[in-house]
Amino acid sequence: MNKKIENMKRLFRPRSVAVIGASEKFDKLGFHVMKSLTTGGYKGKIIPINPGAKEIMGIKAYPSIMACDEDIDLAIIAVPARFVFQIFDECHKKGVAGIVLITAGFKEIDDPEGAKNQELLRQKAESYEIPVIGPNTFGMINLVYDLNASFTPEFSLTKKGNIALVSQSGGMSHLISFLSQRQDIAFSKIVGIGNRLNVDFYEMLLFLRDDPDTKVIALYIEGVDNPSRMMQAIKEIHKQKPIIAYKTGSSKSGDKASRSHTGSIAGKYEIYVGALRQAGAILVNSAEELIDGAKALSTSSIPDGPNVAVLSGQAGPGMAASDMAEKIGLVIPAFTPKTQGRINELLPPMAIRTNPVDMGPAWYDAEATKEIIDVAMRDENIDSVVLLIMYASANIKAVQGITDMLKEWKQKKPIMTCISAPPGIWDNEIRILEDSNAITNYPSPERAARALGALWEYKKIISRG
Amino acid sequence: MEVIERAIKEGRKILSEYEAKLLLNQYSIPTAREVFVRDRNELKDAGQTIGFPMVMKGCSPEITHKTEQGLIITDIRNENEASEAFDEIYEKIKHFKDAGVLVQEMVKGKRELMVGMIRDPQFGPSVMFGLGGIFTEILRDVSFRVAPLDVKEAMDMMMEIGAKKILDPVRGMPAVDIEKLAELIVNVGKIGLENEHIKEMDINPLIISGSTPIAVDALIVLDSA
Repeated sequence: MNKKIENMKRLFRPRSVAVIGASEKFDKLGFHVMKSLTTGGYKGKIIPINPGAKEIMGIKAYPSIMACDEDIDLAIIAVPARFVFQIFDECHKKGVAGIVLITAGFKEIDDPEGAKNQELLRQKAESYEIPVIGPNTFGMINLVYDLNASFTPEFSLTKKGNIALVSQSGGMSHLISFLSQRQDIAFSKIVGIGNRLNVDFYEMLLFLRDDPDTKVIALYIEGVDNPSRMMQAIKEIHKQKPIIAYKTGSSKSGDKASRSHTGSIAGKYEIYVGALRQAGAILVNSAEELIDGAKALSTSSIPDGPNVAVLSGQAGPGMAASDMAEKIGLVIPAFTPKTQGRINELLPPMAIRTNPVDMGPAWYDAEATKEIIDVAMRDENIDSVVLLIMYASANIKAVQGITDMLKEWKQKKPIMTCISAPPGIWDNEIRILEDSNAITNYPSPERAARALGALWEYKKIISRG
Repeated sequence: MEVIERAIKEGRKILSEYEAKLLLNQYSIPTAREVFVRDRNELKDAGQTIGFPMVMKGCSPEITHKTEQGLIITDIRNENEASEAFDEIYEKIKHFKDAGVLVQEMVKGKRELMVGMIRDPQFGPSVMFGLGGIFTEILRDVSFRVAPLDVKEAMDMMMEIGAKKILDPVRGMPAVDIEKLAELIVNVGKIGLENEHIKEMDINPLIISGSTPIAVDALIVLDSA
């Protein structure tokens, strides 16, 4: 067990990677894996294994791992299932630390032979103490180590950061990466645990607890064989690193024929959700909420309380954010008289000046906008800020005007924003602010408010003792 | 538990309401005061013990859906009404095993909640809390925790339902005694942990009388092989 977790460190930071089934042919997964490794900027040694090739993508190939005299830390396997047993034996002999088993055809197939083979393979891997990601997975990506051990090279375009995604679905992992690429959400690792031969959520959680590159753990869960182990790990880790989870399967309801009300309502999903919350995970209801919440947790501080100042350049977005904030249990309190007095001096009485503040009348006055934000975020009644600025030609200087102040403040209290403009305008300004964690920006006011909800949820979880 | 052992021996799949309540009492769960009667002679004493107005329910380990079968008569105000109600119910159930009529105090309270338990093959005993009565299955406004659970976790369950404001003071009714309710939820988890033959259970409705939760009906489903 400990050796296995220990080996996971080498699995994710290998000095050398063998690709078993490496190929020059586009219709082989081994081709795409080679492409991921080579274009992903991996700095270690790549060792293609293919009995029929001397060289693949210009890199010297070997007929088998035994024929290669180099040490191998990680073996990525992309050959048909029937070859896998023998390859596992060779990996053991060769001293391979970890395996990414892309090969399908195990537990997920209809034929019961699949499950039987997976169990035999599991016993083998356990006796060799080799951690195996997969089978039936796209692979894994250690972004901060420039290692793309998957069959999708474009995973490497995901921004480097401190969120680790552990996912039971390849499709959802791809989706989450693509959504995140468009919104500058940054990951340390993306791991498709597939059919979980001997690395399940439990092992991944234990590994990520001690992973210095990971600050936030995001889980996409469908269902596992031994949920209690996973819950135990979440219970142990969540105070150290926030764990945000998305569980699907709510459409499968309880046993309609059950005699009791409890039996007819209680589906697996409902119990999972209860157990995950009980263990200390933050629960969300969509892929979008998962990345939004993870982004907030990875870039912002945690608010002390539920009180939020909603500051908007225009009234509508402020209302949209306020509605969402109140719906999810955040509070929009009055400012202290001192703060309110100052805001009243800064804003002409043409719009609502109390929280939520319509800063519209200060449009042309970047200094006034800046000071309103400044006094609001320092107000002792306020635990966090939702700041909403929609571009208009006349306010083009608005973001630039608040950049230094926000960079200096650095989210001592969370500042969730929806700063929105046509592509090309403000992209740079927003990136500068986000790269220094001065704000956490979202595509809509509702999403900014809801992400703040995830932070407040985490605060409640860690405070409950 | 004695009642469970006996039921298992008899190869039964459920406990009667009366038996279920005995079990709840052993776990300090407050139940409506009630007396089980088999004939009209016993009814007279029961009337004096419980007092009017009262409720009568057909009771047998073979009965589950009492409302649907017209086996519950409420707001019985005097001895005459009691005799009529007894005859009406008894006529429908006399062919059932161990049939009798449960004479119960009429617990007053407009707020109906429920607490249940289901033994999940992976998670073990899991406790459910939510709206009771007819709203249970219409709104499915419920939350779950896995046993064992503590008082804080029971409080979290209460805060998780959409209708959580029902626990606050509403329309002249006092706030629900959430400490008592939490204790009750914790004890339902204990029942699940300590009685491996219970497969599912419902306390529904759990009526809030004043501020106190009282189990008015209970169903315990056994897993007798």
